[in-house]
Amino acid sequence: MSNFYVHFPVISVMGLFLAAFLVEIFGNKNKHVRYAISLIACLGAAAMTFYLIVPVFFRGEVISYWMGGWKPEGGYAFGIGYEIDGLGLFFGLLTALTFLMSVLFSRRYMERDGHLGHYYTLFLMLAGSVLGLVFTGDVFNLFIMIEIMTFASVALTAFRHGKHPEALEGAFKYLVLGSIGSSLFLLGVALLYLTTHTLNMAQIAALISSKGMQPTTLLAFGTMLAGLAVKSFVVPFHTPAADAYATAPASVSTLFSGMVNKAGIYGIIRLTYILFRTMDKESLMLLLSILGALTMFVGVTMALAQHDFKRLLAFHSISQIGYVLMAVGLGTNLGLYGGLFHAMNHTLFKGLLFLTAGAVYYATGTTNLDKLGGLAKRMPRTTACFLVGAFAISGIPPFNGFASKWIIYQAAYEKANLSGNFIYVIITVTALLVSVMTLASFIKVTGAVFFGQAPATLEKTKEVPFGMQLPMFIMSALCIACGLFYNQTIVYVVNPAVNAVTNPAKYVDTMMGEGYAFANGIGPQPTTFTSVSIWDPVFWLLLFVIVTCAVTLVAVSGARERGPVSLPEKTDSKHATFFGCEESLHSHVGGSDLFWGFKKDLKGYFKVMGNLHSGKTNDYALWVVIGVTLITLFTFVFLS
Amino acid sequence: MFKKIIANSMTKSPWIYHVNTGSCNGCDIELVACLTPRYDVERYGFKLAGTPRHADIVVVSGPITSQSKDRLLRTLEQVPNPHCVVTIGSCPQSGNVFKGSYSVEAPLEKFCEVDVAIAGCTPKPEAIIEGLYKAAQILKKKREAM
Amino acid sequence: MPDILARLLDVLVVALHVLIFPGLLFAAVGGLLLAGIDRKVLAHMQRRIGPPIVQPFYDFFKLMGKETIIPAAARPGIYKAAPIIGLVSLSLMMLFFPIFGHSAAFGGTADLIVILYLLTIPAVALIIGGSASGSPFAGVGISREMVVMLGYELPLVMVLLAVAKKVGGSALVFSLQGISDWQLTNGCLLFQWSMIPAALAFLLIIPAEVGTQPFDVAEAETEICEGPLIEYSGAPLAIFKLNTAIKMFVMTALFSVLFLGDINLGQYWLLGGLVLFVISAVLTILCMTFIHAFTARLKIEHLFKFYWTVVAGLALVSLVLVWFGL
Repeated sequence: MSNFYVHFPVISVMGLFLAAFLVEIFGNKNKHVRYAISLIACLGAAAMTFYLIVPVFFRGEVISYWMGGWKPEGGYAFGIGYEIDGLGLFFGLLTALTFLMSVLFSRRYMERDGHLGHYYTLFLMLAGSVLGLVFTGDVFNLFIMIEIMTFASVALTAFRHGKHPEALEGAFKYLVLGSIGSSLFLLGVALLYLTTHTLNMAQIAALISSKGMQPTTLLAFGTMLAGLAVKSFVVPFHTPAADAYATAPASVSTLFSGMVNKAGIYGIIRLTYILFRTMDKESLMLLLSILGALTMFVGVTMALAQHDFKRLLAFHSISQIGYVLMAVGLGTNLGLYGGLFHAMNHTLFKGLLFLTAGAVYYATGTTNLDKLGGLAKRMPRTTACFLVGAFAISGIPPFNGFASKWIIYQAAYEKANLSGNFIYVIITVTALLVSVMTLASFIKVTGAVFFGQAPATLEKTKEVPFGMQLPMFIMSALCIACGLFYNQTIVYVVNPAVNAVTNPAKYVDTMMGEGYAFANGIGPQPTTFTSVSIWDPVFWLLLFVIVTCAVTLVAVSGARERGPVSLPEKTDSKHATFFGCEESLHSHVGGSDLFWGFKKDLKGYFKVMGNLHSGKTNDYALWVVIGVTLITLFTFVFLS
Repeated sequence: MFKKIIANSMTKSPWIYHVNTGSCNGCDIELVACLTPRYDVERYGFKLAGTPRHADIVVVSGPITSQSKDRLLRTLEQVPNPHCVVTIGSCPQSGNVFKGSYSVEAPLEKFCEVDVAIAGCTPKPEAIIEGLYKAAQILKKKREAM
Repeated sequence: MPDILARLLDVLVVALHVLIFPGLLFAAVGGLLLAGIDRKVLAHMQRRIGPPIVQPFYDFFKLMGKETIIPAAARPGIYKAAPIIGLVSLSLMMLFFPIFGHSAAFGGTADLIVILYLLTIPAVALIIGGSASGSPFAGVGISREMVVMLGYELPLVMVLLAVAKKVGGSALVFSLQGISDWQLTNGCLLFQWSMIPAALAFLLIIPAEVGTQPFDVAEAETEICEGPLIEYSGAPLAIFKLNTAIKMFVMTALFSVLFLGDINLGQYWLLGGLVLFVISAVLTILCMTFIHAFTARLKIEHLFKFYWTVVAGLALVSLVLVWFGL
C-alpha cells in the first residue's frame, strides 16, 4: 500500500457527489444532519487533496487512475482516466480551500434561508464538479464536469430568488450563455475525437504534437478556447458574471470567483500548453494577452461605475482574471509563474472580499453602497479583513496581490523587450494602470461602506458571529503570508505547477506508457523561477517595524511634552464632525458619486460601455457569438 | 528641552481661523490685507487655516447675530487647546451701531473668554497685526500652563 | 567574542542608517527644510519677505504641542496609525536610493516597480485616515486624491518603463543601482535627448504627487477645508504635514537618481547628502515653487485631462523614442 493515495482524487470527487445525494435524502428535515454531511464531505475531500501535495509537489509524481481498471489497449486509451499533475493539483488545492472556507462560512450565513437541503446539495455538486474538472484526464469527462458545474452554478445563482427577484434574471443569463459555452466545448470535443479517435488528454496531446495542426483540430481549438473563455468570463463573454456574482449568496460568489472561473482558466492553460501546445505560436498567444488586457481594463472601469458592493466585486473578479489570462498568454516561464501565482492570490483575496461582502449583507441586509456607511466602528473585525483583502487586490506591498502583479509586470515588459512588439508595452502600461484603478474603486468601497457617516438605519448593526469570522481570518492570514513569503510560496506551490505545464512529456508518459511522449515529439523543458526585478518584503517589513517602533517610542516618551489626546466619551459638539454649517444641509456623498472628475473626462467611454452592458440576454448572446467567431477566425488565419 | 521648543513654536506659527458673524466685510477685508505683500503676516508664521481643527487663533468679526451665535460657539468648541479668541472691530466687542437690535447678541464676552480685542471700525492692518502678535504670546503662556 | 562585537556593530550601523542618516531623521529634516525653502522663495517671488526657512519646524513642533481631538465618528486606532504608516514608508524610501555609497546595501531590497507601489502607501494612508474621520469634506477630498493619483500614475508608469528600457537595452534594468551605474559610464540620462520629454513629464508629476498648487485639489483649504485632513489636529496632523514635506524630498531625490545618477562621494557621505539636498532644493524651486507662484488651482477634471494628455503624451514620446533605440 505504498501508493494508496492514487485513490484519493477519485474518492474526493465521488465523495462530494455522494454527499450531495445524501444531503438531499437525509438532510432535508434536520439541519444538523445536513450540515454534518456537507462538512464531513468537504473536509474529507479537502484533506485528501491536501495530502496529494506530498507525492505530487514534493516528489514530483504524476498520479494516474483508470476508472474500472480500463487501461490503454493497443496504444489507445478507452477508459476514463484521472490524472493529477502539478497543474491539476494546484487548481485542486485552490478549489479545496475555497469550498472549505465557503462551507464554514455558510453555516451561519445561510441560517436565515429556507430550503437549505437544496443549497447544500447544489453546493456539494459544484464543489465536486470543479474538483473533478481539474483532476480528470479525459476531455469528455471534462465536458461533463463543466456541465454539472454550470447547472449547479445557475441553480445556486437563483437560490435567493424569493427575496431578490433579480436573481432569476442573473441565473437566466448565466444559463443561456453558460449553455452556449458548454455546447461550443462539446463541439470541440467531438471534432477532436474525429481527428484523434481518443478522448484521453494525454494521448490527444501526443497525437496532435506528432500529426500537427489540421483544419479540424484548429476549429476544435477555436471552439474549445471560446467555450472555456465563456466559463472564465473573459471579455466579451463576461456579461453574465456580474449578475450571477451579485445576486448569488456571498458564499456562492466566493465559490464562483475562487473556483468556477479558475476552472475556466485551468482549462485554457491545459488547452494551450498541453493539449494543443500553442505556446510557441506568437500571434495566438498575443490574442490571449490582448483579451486579458481588454478584460482587466473593461472589468476595472466597469467596477468604478458600480454602486453595489457585490456587483463591484464581480467586475473586479473579471478584471483580475484578465491579469491571469494576460500573463498566461505571454508564453514565457515568468508569465506562467505570475499568472498561476495571481490565480492563487485571486482565490485568496477575492474569496476574502466576497466573504466580507457576505458579512456586511448578513449584518445590514443590503449591499448597496449608497445605503451603507460607518460600519468600521460597528464591525471592526470585518473591516480589518476587508482592508487586508482590498490592499491585496489593489497590489499594495507587501500583500500577496502585489507580489504576483509585480511578477506579471516584469513578465509582460520582458516579453515586450524580447519580442520587440510595442503591443506588449501597451499591455504592461495597462496592467500597471489597472492596478491603480483597482485601488481607486476599493477606496470607494472603503469610504462608502466602512468609513464615513453611518446612516440612521445602521445604528444597531453588530459584528457577525465567530463562525463567519473564522474563514475571513484564515483567508486574511493567507493573504499576508503569501505576500511576505512570496519566494517560498512560488518555490513550493507555484513551481510544481509551472513545471507540470512546461513538461507535458511526463503527463503523457504516465498515462500512455514510458517513451510515448518522446516518440510523438514532446520533450521536457525544466524551469526555475528567476525574477528580473528585486523585492524583499520581509526585509522591508523588518525595517518598517524597526522605524515604527522607534517612532512609537518617541511618541510614548514624549507624551508629557506632547499635547493631550482628547477621546470622545459622548457625542458632544467638540468631537462632532466639522460641517462648516448645519449637518442637515450636507448631503451624504454616496459611493457612486465618487470619482466624478474621472468619469466626466471619460464620459464618452462610460457611455459606450453602458450601452454595451445593456442587460439584455439577446445582446449578450450576440457578444458571445461575435467573440467565438473572432477567436475561431483568428485561429484559422494565424495558426494554419 | 522639547517643552521649551514647543512653547516657543507656539508664538512662531499661529494659524488663524476666521469666523464672520454678520460683519459688514470691512474687518474681513482688512484681515485679508494683512496677508498681502504690503503687510505680509506670513513673516511671523501666520497662516489662514481651512478648518477649526487646525486653528490656534480664532478671529471673530461681526456683531454675533442670533443666527450665527450657535454656529460660532460650536466652532469655538472644536478648536484644539491651547487656542486664543481674537475679536476684530468694535462689533463683537460692543455691538457697535447694531447695538440694541433684536437679532444681535454682542458682546462676545458673554459667551466665551476673549483673549485679545482689536478695536476700531475698522481697525488698521497694523493694529490687527499687533493684536494677533499679542494673541500669539498668550498662546505661549497658555501652552506653558498646560 | 570580537565576532559578536562586530555583529553588534553592524546592527548598530544599520540602525543608524535606518533611523538617522539616509533614513528617518535625514528625510524629516531635509523635507522640512525643503518645505521652508519653498515657502521662502515663493514669498520672494510675490515680493513678500516670507516666513523664515525653519518655519515648517515651528509648525511641526507647535502642532505636536496641541491637543489631539479624535472625532466621534472616527476609529481611534486607524485615525492615529494612518499618519505613522505614511511617515515610516516614506522615510524607508530614502534608504532604497543608491545615493550614499555605503547605504547601497538597502538598494538590493527594492527597485523601480516596487518604489512605484511603495509611493502609493502614503497616499493610501492619507485616504484611509481621512475617510476614517467621517467628514463629508474628507469624502470629497479622498475622491479627488484618488483621481489625482489615477491621473499621474499613467505618465509615471511610462516614464519608469522608458528609463528601464533605455538603461537596459536588451536586458531590462529595473534596479535603481543599475540605473545609477549606467549613468556613471554613459553620462546623465537627462542629457540623452530621447529622455528629455520623460524628465519633463516627471518634473510635472512631482507637484501632483506632493500635492502643491495648482495640483492641490485634494487638500484645497479654501473650498473643501483641507479635504482628508479636515478632522485632524495635534500630533497626527503634524505627522501628515511632515509626510508632505518628506514626499517633496523623496520625489526630487528619485528624480535625481533616475535622471542625474549617483552622488557617491565615498567616505564624504555627509557631503553627498548635502549635494543631494541642494539638487532637491533646486528641483523643488523649479517644479513646485515656480508653478505655484504663477498658477491658480485647477479643477479636478482639468487636472485629470492635463495628466492623461499633456504629461502622458510627453512620457509616451520618450517611451516610443527609447523603444526604437534612440
